[in-house]
Amino acid sequence: MALVSAVVDVLSPHVPVLALGVLYVFAVLSVATFWGTALALATSVASMLAFNWFFLPPTHTLQLRQGENWLALAVYCSTAVVVGLLAARARRRSADAEQRRREADVLAGAAADLLHGTPADEALGRLAEPLARALGAEAVRLVPGAPEPAPSERALPVRAGRRAVATVLVDERLPVAAAAAERLLPALGALFAVQADALEAEALRRSDALKTALLRSVSHDLRSPLTAILAAAGALTNDELTLDDADRAELAHAIRAEAERLNRVVGDLLDLSRLQAGAVEPHRELWSADELVAQALPPGDRIQVELDDVAPPVRVDGPQVERALANLIDNALRYSPAGSPVTVRVEHGATELRVHVLDHGPGLDGADRDLLFRPFEGEGSGLGLAIARGFAEVNGGQVWAQDDPTGGHFVLALPTAGAAA
Amino acid sequence: MTRVLVVDDEPQILRALRTSLRGAGYDVETAETGEAALTAAAVNPPDAVILDLVLPDGHGTDVARELRTWSNVPVIVLSVVGDEREKVAALDAGADDYVTKPFGIDELLARLRAALRRGEPSGEPVLELGELRVDLEKQSVHFDGRPVQLTPHEFALLRALAREPGKLMTHQMLLREVWGRAYGDESHYLHVYVSQLRRKLERDPARPRYILTVPGAGYRLVQP
Repeated sequence: MALVSAVVDVLSPHVPVLALGVLYVFAVLSVATFWGTALALATSVASMLAFNWFFLPPTHTLQLRQGENWLALAVYCSTAVVVGLLAARARRRSADAEQRRREADVLAGAAADLLHGTPADEALGRLAEPLARALGAEAVRLVPGAPEPAPSERALPVRAGRRAVATVLVDERLPVAAAAAERLLPALGALFAVQADALEAEALRRSDALKTALLRSVSHDLRSPLTAILAAAGALTNDELTLDDADRAELAHAIRAEAERLNRVVGDLLDLSRLQAGAVEPHRELWSADELVAQALPPGDRIQVELDDVAPPVRVDGPQVERALANLIDNALRYSPAGSPVTVRVEHGATELRVHVLDHGPGLDGADRDLLFRPFEGEGSGLGLAIARGFAEVNGGQVWAQDDPTGGHFVLALPTAGAAA
Repeated sequence: MTRVLVVDDEPQILRALRTSLRGAGYDVETAETGEAALTAAAVNPPDAVILDLVLPDGHGTDVARELRTWSNVPVIVLSVVGDEREKVAALDAGADDYVTKPFGIDELLARLRAALRRGEPSGEPVLELGELRVDLEKQSVHFDGRPVQLTPHEFALLRALAREPGKLMTHQMLLREVWGRAYGDESHYLHVYVSQLRRKLERDPARPRYILTVPGAGYRLVQP
């Protein structure tokens, strides 16, 4: 306004001073654009007073000598007010547009993440920052579920239906744009609901596929030993058959061997269903690699063991890890030529104990490695590898198949007790 | 004739056990409930008891505990896979050994023979098992004729196992004996000490022949 007054002062010798009053509109316009209607109105009034004081005769008074000056002043004043109002509205519109864009950003980000299968927790982590911007808060925490807010926090639930899928936690002292929250949070909730539905459908589809595979596998793996047992037992109890002692012994041995096989299959199915249901609780204790390997070794002399004399202990469920290792060894024995050696080698690093199981079989050339670990999908590998991986993972470890030109190579890795603590 | 009391409520299992045990030369008596078992054991004390952990009138663990208050008869419990905790509880309550269902009869017979043979601790100060010689009085250990240096904890562990060779010692029994009552429920260092002991007493620690692990339950020292 001072600037405009100076300009009017400079120009007044050349232009009728009354016409110059219109220049104050610029001041009002810029104030309205940047600071809003109220300040624009104040600026209008102040401008007119300044114009009157400095330029309209008698100058340096707020009185007016000529009637036309009154009229001009009134016109300028209302012009300034109208322009100010218009500019302020434009400013609000553009602020609104900016706000909607921020909200759209949040939703677009959430939609992209959730619909592309990013886990909800991870998506939440990434959303916190754009959400804070959209809500006009400095910072918000976005957490899954409906946790208790800290005493100094306000909780805004993100609901899918009636369930709170996530909660926005914001410092009580920070202002939050309530209108934005009202628009944004239900939309966000709807997105989470869509993802939850999609995940559920996928889980159902998988469990269906698993059940189908399970039934197929059960009918084969359970029926074939049962068939052998029934046939052998039937022969033994049939009076019409002529059997010598050797025949009887052979049939009895067959019954026993097949019953043991049946027992293993049932054990595998139970283990796998417990693992898939998340019902396996490791009972963790300190174990040495020596002992885990010793317990996993089957009888026989095909296996060469290379222990690590200074391997640190691991904190795991001993029997579960032994089971994982035994399955890897069993797999190696089964998929390499009869009589060829299988090596079990223990190594340790700073934070990890590794047990390698190496065989001289055809290896895994070209095979889809991860497929091996999926129950019922591997090439006849049965459930052993899936169970090995399952037990390793609930104990904080990993199992993988490694590239090796010399044959099959599986690794069981476990965090050492110091590293896991 | 050696008498065995078999306690189980499943008729097929009773029938199979009766036939097999008689075939092995034992005199067999059966009971289908815990109460019947305790009565039978009191009226006509058996030489050994085979006890199912799941009974219609309660748990085999309680029967074992009750039995122990007035009898030292060897008790072998029958457990099922997945019932590890109950099995260990039964052992800690006084059962001598266990066999997991489904089991082969030869395994059960081997456990039964071992339990019958053990009876009371020998009290002999010197124990010789294969290449292993443990002198409990002088606290010295020899393996294959050579002296072996053990730390105090290692020796205490070996002594606990050597007192009744062949007997299954649960984690808790060993911890109590070696580390004292306060450590009863934590198996912290036990497995690590066993591994150290094996490195000194076994030719191949990956294929132990003297100190055997009983998965999920404990250890036993055996004649290789």
